[in-house]
Amino acid sequence: MRLIAFFAALLFAFPALAQGIQQTKGSFEDKFRQLDEVLADPNVYRNASGAPGHQYWQQQADYRINATLDEDARRLTARMTITYKNNSPDSLPWIWLQLDQNIFKKDSMAELTNTFGGPGRRGPSVSAARGNAPAKLSLEELRRQQAMADNTYGYDITRVVSGGRNLDYTIVGTLMRIDLPTPLRPGQSVSFAMDYGFNIVEENTIYARSGYEHFPDDPREGGNDIFLFAQWFPRLVAYSDYEGWHNKEFLGRGEFTLEFGNYDVTMTVPNDHIVSSTGVLGNPSAVLTATQRQRLATARNADAPVFIVAPEEAEANEASNPTGTKSWRFTAQNVRDFAWATSRKFAWDAQGHKQPGAANSTVMAMSFYPKEGGELWQKYSTAAVVHTMKVYSRFSFDYPYPTAQSVNGPVGGMEYPMITFNGPRTNLNDDGSRTYSESEKVFLVGVVIHEIGHIYFPMTVNSDERQWTWMDEGINSFLDSVAGYEWDPDMPWTRSLPRDLIPYMTSTNQVPIMTQSDSVLNLGPNAYGKPSAAYHILRDTILGRERFDFALKEYARRWKFKRPTPTDFFRTMEEASGTDLDWFWRGWFYTTDHVDISLDTIHRLRLDTKNPDIDLARRRQELADEPEKVGVRLNREQGLPIWVLENPGVTDFYDENDQFTVTPKDTKKYESFLEGLEDWERRVFDRAVEEDNNYYVLSFSNKGGLVMPIILGLTFADGSTERMYIPAEIWRRNARNVSKLLVFPKEKQLTEVVLDPNWETADADIENNYYPRRIIDSRVETFKRPDPSSRTGRDLMAEVLVKDEKDEESGEE
Amino acid sequence: MIARFLAAAVLLIGAALAAPVAAHQQKTAISILSHNPRTGMLEVVHQVPIHDAEHALKSKGAKGADILADNESRRAFARYVAERFELTVRGDNVPLTLLGSEIEGGSLLIYQEASSPGPGAQLTVRSQILTDVWVRQENRVNLGDGTNVETLIFRAGDRAKAGILP
Repeated sequence: MRLIAFFAALLFAFPALAQGIQQTKGSFEDKFRQLDEVLADPNVYRNASGAPGHQYWQQQADYRINATLDEDARRLTARMTITYKNNSPDSLPWIWLQLDQNIFKKDSMAELTNTFGGPGRRGPSVSAARGNAPAKLSLEELRRQQAMADNTYGYDITRVVSGGRNLDYTIVGTLMRIDLPTPLRPGQSVSFAMDYGFNIVEENTIYARSGYEHFPDDPREGGNDIFLFAQWFPRLVAYSDYEGWHNKEFLGRGEFTLEFGNYDVTMTVPNDHIVSSTGVLGNPSAVLTATQRQRLATARNADAPVFIVAPEEAEANEASNPTGTKSWRFTAQNVRDFAWATSRKFAWDAQGHKQPGAANSTVMAMSFYPKEGGELWQKYSTAAVVHTMKVYSRFSFDYPYPTAQSVNGPVGGMEYPMITFNGPRTNLNDDGSRTYSESEKVFLVGVVIHEIGHIYFPMTVNSDERQWTWMDEGINSFLDSVAGYEWDPDMPWTRSLPRDLIPYMTSTNQVPIMTQSDSVLNLGPNAYGKPSAAYHILRDTILGRERFDFALKEYARRWKFKRPTPTDFFRTMEEASGTDLDWFWRGWFYTTDHVDISLDTIHRLRLDTKNPDIDLARRRQELADEPEKVGVRLNREQGLPIWVLENPGVTDFYDENDQFTVTPKDTKKYESFLEGLEDWERRVFDRAVEEDNNYYVLSFSNKGGLVMPIILGLTFADGSTERMYIPAEIWRRNARNVSKLLVFPKEKQLTEVVLDPNWETADADIENNYYPRRIIDSRVETFKRPDPSSRTGRDLMAEVLVKDEKDEESGEE
Repeated sequence: MIARFLAAAVLLIGAALAAPVAAHQQKTAISILSHNPRTGMLEVVHQVPIHDAEHALKSKGAKGADILADNESRRAFARYVAERFELTVRGDNVPLTLLGSEIEGGSLLIYQEASSPGPGAQLTVRSQILTDVWVRQENRVNLGDGTNVETLIFRAGDRAKAGILP
């Protein structure tokens, strides 16, 4: 008996623990339930307003690295010293490092768990066998398989020492634990040195975030390479107040969680290479010519990009061979990562961006690109870097570093402190000229804005990318669309406005935004588009620009060079805007609901005066306004006789007085009603009768589930229009159906109401937004109309297809 | 040239042509199928990010692809989409008429239509748009427009899936 009771208790206990507070009777759903039970508890490190707490801490990791590139062997070797300061209140018996290069080992977790033809895999195209269809491999996949078989990738770590003694270490996939001789106490630092090397992957073959790209057709014998170095040194795993060591394996998609620190890096490369790097060049006289140094000085105060290495000089370099090596030294302060690029193919331009009064009053905006970047890069790369800083700084803080760079290589778009890798290029035509498509231009401008924007989020506002892609990508996609508006409002770049997200948000089988990065389905719309759309709505519709911009700026200011969590973001945005947004975060970030509010009915009301002389006359008129009875009309048309008309001599009282005739009893009842009113009631009543306002009751239903403000476009009989904004809180007691009374003066009669007339809220069904209902053309119908004005870039190809079919019939190629 | 790469797209081994393809594509396409009660047509709208479309063309050897400025590029991609999207009703292929395309924001919209089998009909769909280009491609097919939607998700090699047209 006791045993049974024990099991019963377990069965009941688990669901209660898992689900917290539950509505156990009825179906009421509280869309406005406060998030306290979901958010992390505030503490001395992160306070309840979303700001760093009074005992906030974070670790510091400083790096000194001497790296040497063996260009022919495509191998990097390095000697590194890390100094790690423990600012936490904890004693640390060991230190964890991230060995990201180990993702390319044959037995890495990423390699072993990549499903064949499954979702989210990084790599070339394959497809699994399905039914009678055989499995398919692309040549790219075979090339990758062969490269993995022929090469040994991942870190070779040959030495780990501290204070002259070897340290024990254990490697766990892409993580490495170094055991310290004695625990590192709070406030203490430890330094240790490592020797390591790795073979550099070919980016396009292995599908990496960095690596080399080979140009076999360059004039130099054997061709040339562009080398991009990222995740190229063992980096400290973050140790935080809320997770301790962030031991999350690098699987490829979830990006990085890092500590800030200072870097002193020397890279030895062939002496005809140009190096672009995080940080500031510390030895220009050793690696640049006097001419190049002079050009750099000129560029510092130029209002347009100045070539440091002109395209024709880069092309000459392409044909050269190195006569030795050069060592470039870069230093960077307070950065969370360090990346660099090197090649003899690079042209280099620069322009000083001025920030009067900022810690870095002149920022060197620079671009590095091969001839394949060509005019596209010359015209737009550095210009987009400068534009980004101008816009993003308004929303956050002065650009926090002395350089901002855009480098063209094999990576489509990737961000690091002070340096970004961007992929768009020109096409080589048969006549040797280089041109680019319009969308490649848009892509270059857009991707440079996006990646340079990442230097603010998350390179400076250091959110945890491994856990939450949306934290930096959402804000950054939002801001890149804002910056895009200010570059060219017609630039077809953003897909992250509310209206763009409707098909994704209505689809089933999505995951909430609050999903760990490696587990997200459809990362683009989930982690980039949907949060960006949410911020557009918050800014332009719910909070307004002033409050939203103030709150976002406060979030950026609070967490600049610190590590915010989703909880800190949500709390800061609420606290700084002075608005409870728990319902908004809950709906947009914690659920997969979509927006569809329907305006179901409008009832018009008129106040009864209680005066029988007025009210009964109105009733009489209402009766007269009703349509004639069909049978009576048909009788008349048939010419059937009517008795009372044929017997006019037979009448009585009721022929003179209809049912609406005012009787003394009616009058007495009215007088007694007036006498019964208190003085204030009489004043209110008399005024209401005199004003004779129009009263309308609008009934709404929430079909999508997501509670949102109700935005109404009102049109009146006199032709005037009004916009009305009803906050989302109208749904707080009933999230499915609500009604709202609207009152307008007697002369303002409502003729039409449109819900969300400007498509601000991602409302999925426009048809139920109109009252009276109207026929809404489908997208296809709109497209087929002779002259659609709503969209750009239309191509009606039906006639062309007909022509093509005729061509084929006639045997033309 | 365009006809040749479309043929290549259905080979057992997808042809690895030409230049490297830049990353940072969204690698997702959303298709919406809906019954239009006024016209009696089944309407199909494919939403593909512009840069995904253009880079896909380039990866298939269309060197001068220009989705924004060149109608031929867009038509080539629209035809490719039409080839990679299959629809059957009661075992019969439904021939979808390709109407054309237009740009909206950062997306290329491609339109198709056919006589509608009517609400309640079971549709069998297979979307392999761009799955031959990027292994991470994840396509969504929404049966129904507006609020009442059933979504079918497709990845490389997935077989046809069935759902009810609302």
